[in-house]
Amino acid sequence: MAATSVVIPVKDGARWLAEVLDAVAREQPDEVLVIDSGSTDASVAIARAAGVTLLEIPPREFGHGRTRNLALEHTSGELVAFITQDATPVPGWLAAYQEALALDDRVAAAFGPHLPRPGTSPMIARELTEFFAGFSPDGEPALQSGLDDGSAHPGFLSNANAAYRRSDLETIRFRDVAYAEDQAFARDLFAAGKLKAYHPGAAVLHAHDYPWSEFMRRYFDEYRGLRETTGHVEQIGVRSTVRVLRDGVAGDRAFLESQGVGGAQRAAWTARSAAHHGGRRVFSALGSRADRLPAGARRALSLEGRGDSGANGAAGGPESFKPVSATRRSEPFAEILDFETRGAAPLLPVAQGIGERTPLHIAIVIPPFRTGSGGHDTIFRVFSEIERLGHTCSVWIDDPLGYMNGDRPSVIREQIRSEFAPLQAPVHVGFDDWFGADVALATGWQTVFPVLQLDATRARAYFVQDHEPEFYGGGAEHRWAQETYTKGLHAICASPWLAQIVRERYGGSASVFQLGQDPAVYHPREVARRRDMIVFYGRSVTPRRAVPLGLLALAELHRRRPDARIVIYGDPQPLQTSFPYEHAGVASQEQLAWLYSEATAGLCLSMTNYSRVPQEMMACGLPCVDLAGYSAESVFGEDGPAELSEFSIRALAGHMERLMDDEALWLRRSETGKRFVAAHTWQAAAAEVEAGLREALRERERALGAAAEGRG
Amino acid sequence: MDVDVDVSETRNNLLEAENALLCEQVQQLEGQLAEQAARTNALLAAAQERSYWLDRWGLDLNALMRKPGAAQLRALLRAARWPLRQARLLKRRLLG
Repeated sequence: MAATSVVIPVKDGARWLAEVLDAVAREQPDEVLVIDSGSTDASVAIARAAGVTLLEIPPREFGHGRTRNLALEHTSGELVAFITQDATPVPGWLAAYQEALALDDRVAAAFGPHLPRPGTSPMIARELTEFFAGFSPDGEPALQSGLDDGSAHPGFLSNANAAYRRSDLETIRFRDVAYAEDQAFARDLFAAGKLKAYHPGAAVLHAHDYPWSEFMRRYFDEYRGLRETTGHVEQIGVRSTVRVLRDGVAGDRAFLESQGVGGAQRAAWTARSAAHHGGRRVFSALGSRADRLPAGARRALSLEGRGDSGANGAAGGPESFKPVSATRRSEPFAEILDFETRGAAPLLPVAQGIGERTPLHIAIVIPPFRTGSGGHDTIFRVFSEIERLGHTCSVWIDDPLGYMNGDRPSVIREQIRSEFAPLQAPVHVGFDDWFGADVALATGWQTVFPVLQLDATRARAYFVQDHEPEFYGGGAEHRWAQETYTKGLHAICASPWLAQIVRERYGGSASVFQLGQDPAVYHPREVARRRDMIVFYGRSVTPRRAVPLGLLALAELHRRRPDARIVIYGDPQPLQTSFPYEHAGVASQEQLAWLYSEATAGLCLSMTNYSRVPQEMMACGLPCVDLAGYSAESVFGEDGPAELSEFSIRALAGHMERLMDDEALWLRRSETGKRFVAAHTWQAAAAEVEAGLREALRERERALGAAAEGRG
Repeated sequence: MDVDVDVSETRNNLLEAENALLCEQVQQLEGQLAEQAARTNALLAAAQERSYWLDRWGLDLNALMRKPGAAQLRALLRAARWPLRQARLLKRRLLG
């Protein structure tokens, strides 16, 4: 039989200590160590009188894990049992622990039930009884092998009543944490491949029964400790609290009834039970979120008076830092890992002539969206027209992080139809219902990776509205976005400039469509055209709109023309400027149409692909100043409807001035602009996109034909 | 020799005819598949349109009707509706 040591940390524990030491002595351990950390009551005298080994340490040196690790150096038993100063072992306690450790060589720790003392409140008595019964429904010792082994409360371990195998304790050791060192040990022992045993015979009489406020502060400390050691955050909500309260009170009442407690007494306990369970919910949740409370509140709510923020650290040794539990269901871009692991799904064979068939079924895979998303507006408008050409569409929202707030497909579909375009297509969130398509269409760089993994598809295409790597500086997203153009998807690009990038920089195949605009909204309104007014699209959160350049150009214009009226829109908050202007905020389409109809010139800068804004300005007869050297020439030509400027503050101001002064130039730009937009409708865009979709299928036909010829 | 050429030509003609027939069948099946996809999509879209308000309000009628007493409540409502219907029918008969 292995030598046994019993360790009891004590501070002001005189109330139960004599009884506890008597009970321990009856179990005949080889040694008993009491570690006192500054008791001011009779604890030390009781320990001395019992003849146990007494170790006295200063209160400031006490730590739940640290002091128990210290006990190892002052004991020698192969089985080291820890109990608290108020846990009285029942007969057979130590023998049960020896039996538990003998169950398997891998058992590093064992624990037993806590039995209610006579007079314990029914809430606590019931909780203890039910909690420990769960570990061993058949009343036999049970082993636990991991946090996910399916057993009840696998992470539970309590140093109020536990025993350890010395060799394992010396290897794993307790963490030096403020609280819940035992539960942290349970996780660590599983991580080390060890087992934990529960023995119903290793019982102690131990039940904390305190006044309500003390209970609540204990719960605060307990859940704060759990958060710090295991990362557990106790969730709270109105419905769950009501449910817990209802179940708790009903359970307590049933327990009282089973104990033969009469009606009047049961009614009195009902109120206490409700206060206990409700308070516990609140204080546990508060404890889990203690780091968000002010230090004073933390100190007031903590029974231990701890006001610190919760980071643990042992001076001079390896530190364990504040654990953070999982806060999202998956990592952003986890689909890239899926793609790296599984690769692209094979495509279906393509029958000859399918590229010419109508209807085609187009599966449009889109990222999550919000009201006002311009990129999504273009997608929905184009595909609403594609449907009118006789094709069938379905919308698939790739939302692995749940940005759509769990909205049901029918709700999202209605949002698309009411806020964007009257799309007929059904909407799917995720790909659980995927049933294949003629063309699976990616519409943003993130959607390329899931599209590559969709099977039962004849061809894949990529609706490219901008050169997205440029949105991400030098980050990982920049690289991933670049890679999407090299995955063999036929790119349907929203400007010749974009198509050229795809072809020349990435070696991909590309076709072109040009953006449309809504003539029902954007047309000249009945308002006198001013000769001194500039409208600037100043959306500062979008770097590609070159807002600092635009503001400097407007400042220069203001210096030259102090009376010019300047209107800036696009940001909800007014921009800080050195010149006066009118802030139109996030203006509605209707407001913009009126502004464009009144102003002299628009200023909309695009440092990647062009925006829909210049066309909308042109539709209202407003000439627009944009930057040369990017995409605008490829769409508008060098001397077409847009006034193109080199990348220079003074040059931009000069172009705005020219449009204000040179009426002939203004008229030429305005008229050319109106003619340009008349030819660039959403119907025209849809016809171009349809041609791109058919080209994606023809590419597949050609590839299959070439492969067949190769085999022949 | 001439007989061999004839046999080979005949075989080629047969293969070409079979090939054309199979191509036609593939086209037909492709067409059916496209039609089926279009119909499925349309049905799904119509179902989403019908269930919009239930989904918007987060109502799951199946779950609701599984709750104890739901069937009885429905029966009660039907029973309460019966005299109203009869009264309406009578009114229609009397007033033409």
